[in-house]
Amino acid sequence: MTLIFEAVRRLNASFPPAPWLILVILFLPFPLLAANQYQIHLINVIFINIMLATGLNIVKGFCGQVTVGHVGLYAIGAYTSALVCIHFGVSFWIALPTAIIVTGLAGIIIGIPSFRLEGAYLALATLGLGESVRIFISATEFLGATFGISNIPYPEIGGIVFDLPSKIYYIIMPISLLGIFISVNILRSGIGRAFKAVRDDPVSAATSGVAVRKYKLIAFVFSAMYAGCAGSLYAHLVTYIHPDNFTILIMVTLLLMVVLGGLGHVGGSIIGAILVTLIYELTRPYPEYQMLVFGMAAVLIVIYMPKGIGGLIDRFLSTRKFIRLREDKADAAAD
Amino acid sequence: MLLQTEGLTKSFDGLTAIRNLDFSVAEGEIRGLIGPNGSGKSTLFNLISGIYQPDANSGRITFDGEDITDLSPHDIAARGVGRTFQLLRIFHEMTVLENLLVGHHHHVRYGILSASMGLGRVWSEERRIKERMQELLHFVGLADFAGMPASELSFGQRRMVALARAISMEPKLLMLDEPAAGLSPANVEELQTIIGLLRERRGMTIIIVEHILKVVIESCDTVTVLDHGEKIGEGTPGEIKDDHRVVEAYLGREMDDEEVRAALAE
Repeated sequence: MTLIFEAVRRLNASFPPAPWLILVILFLPFPLLAANQYQIHLINVIFINIMLATGLNIVKGFCGQVTVGHVGLYAIGAYTSALVCIHFGVSFWIALPTAIIVTGLAGIIIGIPSFRLEGAYLALATLGLGESVRIFISATEFLGATFGISNIPYPEIGGIVFDLPSKIYYIIMPISLLGIFISVNILRSGIGRAFKAVRDDPVSAATSGVAVRKYKLIAFVFSAMYAGCAGSLYAHLVTYIHPDNFTILIMVTLLLMVVLGGLGHVGGSIIGAILVTLIYELTRPYPEYQMLVFGMAAVLIVIYMPKGIGGLIDRFLSTRKFIRLREDKADAAAD
Repeated sequence: MLLQTEGLTKSFDGLTAIRNLDFSVAEGEIRGLIGPNGSGKSTLFNLISGIYQPDANSGRITFDGEDITDLSPHDIAARGVGRTFQLLRIFHEMTVLENLLVGHHHHVRYGILSASMGLGRVWSEERRIKERMQELLHFVGLADFAGMPASELSFGQRRMVALARAISMEPKLLMLDEPAAGLSPANVEELQTIIGLLRERRGMTIIIVEHILKVVIESCDTVTVLDHGEKIGEGTPGEIKDDHRVVEAYLGREMDDEEVRAALAE
């Protein structure tokens, strides 16, 4: 096991994307192993949710800005991509970047309240913005109102139509991994450190030379772009979107992914996204209890497991490291 | 003059914390700033570093020939003003090394795009600045704690992290807010050595707010005394020690030689 880790570390140092390319290749046969299209659909949804959770983790986990408007950005991404395709007849490959850019710009609007507000107040402001997106969509004829938008075209490359979950998987999976790759790089760099400094102590971050507002905005825009990308992928996966896809319940599940996985822990938020998506699917027959269960789970995790699964993993690893160090010392003493 | 304030005034809800203050520090100087609690020392630091804005039309702050009165804290930091806080304000959730790397933020030379792609030059730049920060940790005696979360260190070590974070900015002017408070006598000695070396080797100008008079008297070239937001004395440590007004303001009443000596020995 340690040998594998060491090999990956070396590979990563010489050519950073290498381990990620290997991951993509390892994930390639997934659709062949699945029993039916529904299972692959679920895997696709998991990858989309991983993108959403990764983006939310940047702004909430690393930059410490409590935002509840993420689902609004997700909706903007999905609707932009769908409308651009339907009204301008362009392909998915133009709609996707358009959705990312438009949602990134919307991220600026969601981010501006963070200049003056903190904590619960910021949550309320972003909640308002996020919900108003959904309500605006429900009330606008052009956006399909409460009927939604259907017949969103499937992605296409040179005549090959990605019309089945097992096909579109080959678009969603690599893009999702690319998203994780980018977020890992950003968070490891000076930009990620600036985010964490803003979260830990904005005053001393500023006197250390970090432009606090600039980095808050960067975090919001980055996370918005993830939401936009996820929204676009979702729209072209299900080909039918309506305002109910973007309710506050979805926001709660998104928050739960990040909180369960561990705020500020990239790997944790991926695990959180997988678990919460599965639980959400399993509890779908009981929609009236979903909100209750997810809300209570979030509260319990915050109280009893504030660092989430990621925190548990970190603690396990550092304990093991400590034990190994002590054994090494004992060995040295014995020699 | 590296730093100069002219007619600086700051009040909070009608309470004047700094009153019409002219204060200047020459390049290469180590300046002590003393005064009783509430005399405006920390307020002055907060004004210089841009956390507070002076009252409207009440004074200017010039640094290195440039008016910095209206600049935001990060712009002032970028121009070469580093500081520590009385209550440390280090980044507790980050490692010791990361704390220093945040201080070094302005010297990092890569953009968001190359960082997001994890390009090779980002990695080599990161390696370069990490080595640099490791040297700095060695300098302040924290070399073995680089990877530890800052919250797990002892209080004295955390003070050193705060100091090292300010040094990592490579500032022209370093403002230390009670750097020796809570340190053991041995650590105070070490701190004084570090302060001396910072000027000698790195050419930093330093302002120290300190209640431990030993540090002020031994390390500073000149001392400014504040009381109720006004300057009531300035001179060499020797002159200040003999100034009755200063001793009165600082200690409440006049002391005889024996008591002064006792206070210094603390």
